[in-house]
Amino acid sequence: MALIDRSEWYDLTRATSWTPKYVTEEELFPEEMTGARGIPLSEWESYDEPYKVSYPEYVTTQREKDAGAYSVKAALERANYIDDADPGWVSTLKAHYGAIAVAEYAAGGAEARMMRFAKAPGNRNMATFGMLDETRHGQIQLYFPHEHTKRDRQWDWAHKAYHTNEWGAIAARHMFDDIMMTRDALSVAIMLTFSFETGFTNMQFLGLAADAAEAGDHTFANLISSIQTDESRHAQQGGPALEIMIKNGKKAEAQKMIDVAFWRSWKLFSVLTGPMMDYYTPLEHRKQSFKEFMQEWIIGQFERQIIDLGLDTPWYWDEFNRALDETHHGMHMGVWYWRPTVWWNPAAGVKPDDRAWLEEKYPGWNESFGECWDVITENLIEGRPELTGPETLPTICNMSNIPIVGRPGKGWNVKDYPLEHEGRLYHFGSEPDRWCFQQDPDRYKHHLNFIDRFLAGKIQPMDLMGGLQYMGLAPGEMGDDAHGYSWVEACAAAKAKSTAA
Amino acid sequence: MALFPLNSNFQGDFVIQLLPVDTENTMDEIAAAAAHHSVGRRVRPQPTKVMRIRRHGETEFFPRDMKLADSGLGPTETIDVMFADS
Repeated sequence: MALIDRSEWYDLTRATSWTPKYVTEEELFPEEMTGARGIPLSEWESYDEPYKVSYPEYVTTQREKDAGAYSVKAALERANYIDDADPGWVSTLKAHYGAIAVAEYAAGGAEARMMRFAKAPGNRNMATFGMLDETRHGQIQLYFPHEHTKRDRQWDWAHKAYHTNEWGAIAARHMFDDIMMTRDALSVAIMLTFSFETGFTNMQFLGLAADAAEAGDHTFANLISSIQTDESRHAQQGGPALEIMIKNGKKAEAQKMIDVAFWRSWKLFSVLTGPMMDYYTPLEHRKQSFKEFMQEWIIGQFERQIIDLGLDTPWYWDEFNRALDETHHGMHMGVWYWRPTVWWNPAAGVKPDDRAWLEEKYPGWNESFGECWDVITENLIEGRPELTGPETLPTICNMSNIPIVGRPGKGWNVKDYPLEHEGRLYHFGSEPDRWCFQQDPDRYKHHLNFIDRFLAGKIQPMDLMGGLQYMGLAPGEMGDDAHGYSWVEACAAAKAKSTAA
Repeated sequence: MALFPLNSNFQGDFVIQLLPVDTENTMDEIAAAAAHHSVGRRVRPQPTKVMRIRRHGETEFFPRDMKLADSGLGPTETIDVMFADS
């Protein structure tokens, strides 16, 4: 049977919409699910997605992608790469899978909301593929780490993390719940696909793929590059939706959604991706610093897209640029110091050569973060390991749900941004975090972060063991130094050499 | 006497930390409790200095012998713990 050429039917089918007869338009597209904000259906029908694909083309391509990724995995599985890989890189993989895999599956629900409730036919069409993409990403990123569950129990957190009250999982869940699980279809297009996926998935799936290839982890490099080809397609759903909003006088609302989602995404990446790129990945395999990746993918590309659409860079852009030198270093130190509270083994990443690299990439690191690491390192050299672990909890931001950190040592600038709202005192790690809360206090005010839960008596007994139990971290799962503190020897040797000199 | 949570922002440290204290504690006692979680862990001791407490972001220190109950600080409020000459 002869097939009609794609060009003859594609535009008709992708833009197919209808006028409801048996229900009202409001019943078909309830505002709380659709979020059309009064923009008429006729305007949404002008939605023109930049990336066009038919269903047969989609499934053919996806099959090829899966075949490629799965065959690389199968071919390399017997090489047992993981057993010989640097423990820091292994930690990167464990942290990645736990923080990403189940969130991808959840993103399928967000795509499905656009698929059903977006008023733009083209958006519904693209979201159908987006939903299938995210289902694939959830499945493949659970399947790949599963072969490692025989190695240790931390690998099981690829699936387990989001089902626990581990603090990082609470933070990620709070962020993804906010930008994709509890928003209307239009907000999802802007907050998830445009704000998060356009910039930040490039960081996680292309930036990290570059490091993976350098580290010789071709299975992971191939996997996440394959995922990013989907992300870069379905991330384009937000752009045309933004164009329609701006054309119809909704620029301020669009801008606010971008500003909230972008800041929230940045903070999550500062604790997840920053330490991976600048500390866990072995020095010789680092393609660029976290800051350089951020400058390439976020400052360079995302900023240009915002401007091209006629929007403004977020109001906190200067603060964001400044924080690129600082926040993730504090997050890393916090994760390492409170290492029993994560499902991976943080690599300290502060041997003398690491520190020289950090100082080169982040001038002033030695006299700030390095000062704290000096004390930690000396405690380990001089046999005081008990001082390198926590006896209390860090104060947690009521928006990002991650610790409130800043620059230590010279130029000390650690700051709380408090807010009293309806008799409750909230704490925030930055002005933009507090601003996000102030945009919609009713949305956020009832959430209890880890410290709130602790103080409310929900964590018993009220000590570290009670906290670990609440987080679901059993022995064999809670983190410890990735390299078993072997890096301390290099530091001790360097110290002895400098003392002798 | 009652358990009372504060947040400790210790000079030179990288993170603010939960600090459980008592309403009967003096500012010197609170400073010592805060130091336990920062000094010798990530902040070098400064033996020639004393540690003073102020409400976060303010410039005036509380008197060293003032009790927490008399300070006006509320639960989970953040304090700065600073090295000072006296």
